[in-house]
Amino acid sequence: MIEVKELHKHFGDLHILKGITTKIEQGEKVVIIGPSGSGKSTFLRCLNRLEQPTGGQILFNGEDLTAMKDAQLYAVRERMGMVFQHFHLFPHLTIKKNITLAPVKLGLMTQAEADAKADVLLTKVGLSDKADQYPNQLSGGQKQRIAIARALAMNPEVMLFDEPTSALDPEMVGEVLELMRELAEEGMTMVVVTHEMGFAREVASRVIFMDDGKIMEENEPQEFFTNPQNPRLKEFLSKVL
Amino acid sequence: MNFFEQFADKLYSTFIEGARWTYLTDGLKTTLIVTFFAVIVGVILGFLIAVIRSTHDKTGKLKILNFLAKVYLTVIRGTPVVVQLLIIYFVIFASVNIDKIFVAVLAFGLNSAAYVAEIVRSGIMSIDNGQFEAGASLGLNYPRTMIYIIMPQAFRNILPALANEFIVLLKETSVAGYIALTDLTKGGDIIRSATYEAFLPLIAVALIYLIMVMILSGLVSKLERRLAKSDRG
Repeated sequence: MIEVKELHKHFGDLHILKGITTKIEQGEKVVIIGPSGSGKSTFLRCLNRLEQPTGGQILFNGEDLTAMKDAQLYAVRERMGMVFQHFHLFPHLTIKKNITLAPVKLGLMTQAEADAKADVLLTKVGLSDKADQYPNQLSGGQKQRIAIARALAMNPEVMLFDEPTSALDPEMVGEVLELMRELAEEGMTMVVVTHEMGFAREVASRVIFMDDGKIMEENEPQEFFTNPQNPRLKEFLSKVL
Repeated sequence: MNFFEQFADKLYSTFIEGARWTYLTDGLKTTLIVTFFAVIVGVILGFLIAVIRSTHDKTGKLKILNFLAKVYLTVIRGTPVVVQLLIIYFVIFASVNIDKIFVAVLAFGLNSAAYVAEIVRSGIMSIDNGQFEAGASLGLNYPRTMIYIIMPQAFRNILPALANEFIVLLKETSVAGYIALTDLTKGGDIIRSATYEAFLPLIAVALIYLIMVMILSGLVSKLERRLAKSDRG
């Protein structure tokens, strides 16, 4: 589904991604872990070109994202949902409008269809009673669940999560992870950058360890956590587990 | 004659005699017309310039338009409004017989646009980049993100500053007399030169401006309170 070839990213003189090559298949749940500054968020943001790569290719269903014109790129983004660390809900719109804005303005659904879809999604994330409230009236965990619902409203083929629980109070992490777990069980293709090792172990079909702009190790979670090979990964795991 | 009789006499000669008060009412009407249409010109042009400038800042596109906008802002903000008014009337429209109100609307509108543009731009730039990214990640292109996500938030943030600019504009139109347009200030001045009495007409003019500004300021703070409330902190 997504094929990444020799991906490079520079910020001025800083070389953030130093040649990433990997493949994400339909239905996979890829969890990316690594120390801060390892380039894992940058890598994720390259996948929908919120960051413009400076070298290499990203193929989404065979189409090269890095060479695309803007109009095509936006069409691809419609099929890739993204959830941010700081939610980025639209504060001037009600929860329901947050969810329906994009599908309606892009002409994918009528307002009535989008409203119906929003109702279903709000039930799914357990926040039906918040439909007419504003983002600022919600807790962090609730905001993130709405952000997930907003992304799902576009019927994406893949969901990208950029540290979705890192900005949350500890007691709210669980509700967001629970929702992501449900999503995974339904077969959604997911790429998750996170520090939640428990989630990686239980939900991931593959775990990637990044350090210094490179993939140092990738493996299925059982093997990854019990039998790490790379010395940097061993050191990292000994600190976080 | 005692003081009160004298004062009543002056009041009479300043405002009543020869229906001189109509200089003030006609002048006020002109001032309001010029201000109103100048605000419209300023807002439309100002928003356009702000969108050009911030689009350039955010995406690096529109290089030529951005350059023109920058030149415009530099010239307009770097020269006095009176000089701009005189140039438009005596240089640009020198050879045509043109309505002075139109010239004043144009001059004050073009001037105000430069200030509105910078206010709006600061509003757009104050919106967290995450809002642009959230829009982009949902497949909304830059214009759609701007219209549905950024502008409504930016507009709310800048409303007080924008309203303030209109108050400034209202007062700035008092130099319209330079092109012999009889606005409120000029109206008062005409009375002064007719009666050789400066105090009453000029104080009256000042009071009318003050009352208008106080009413506008009151509306602005009411608006601000309303916005703060709907902010749902």
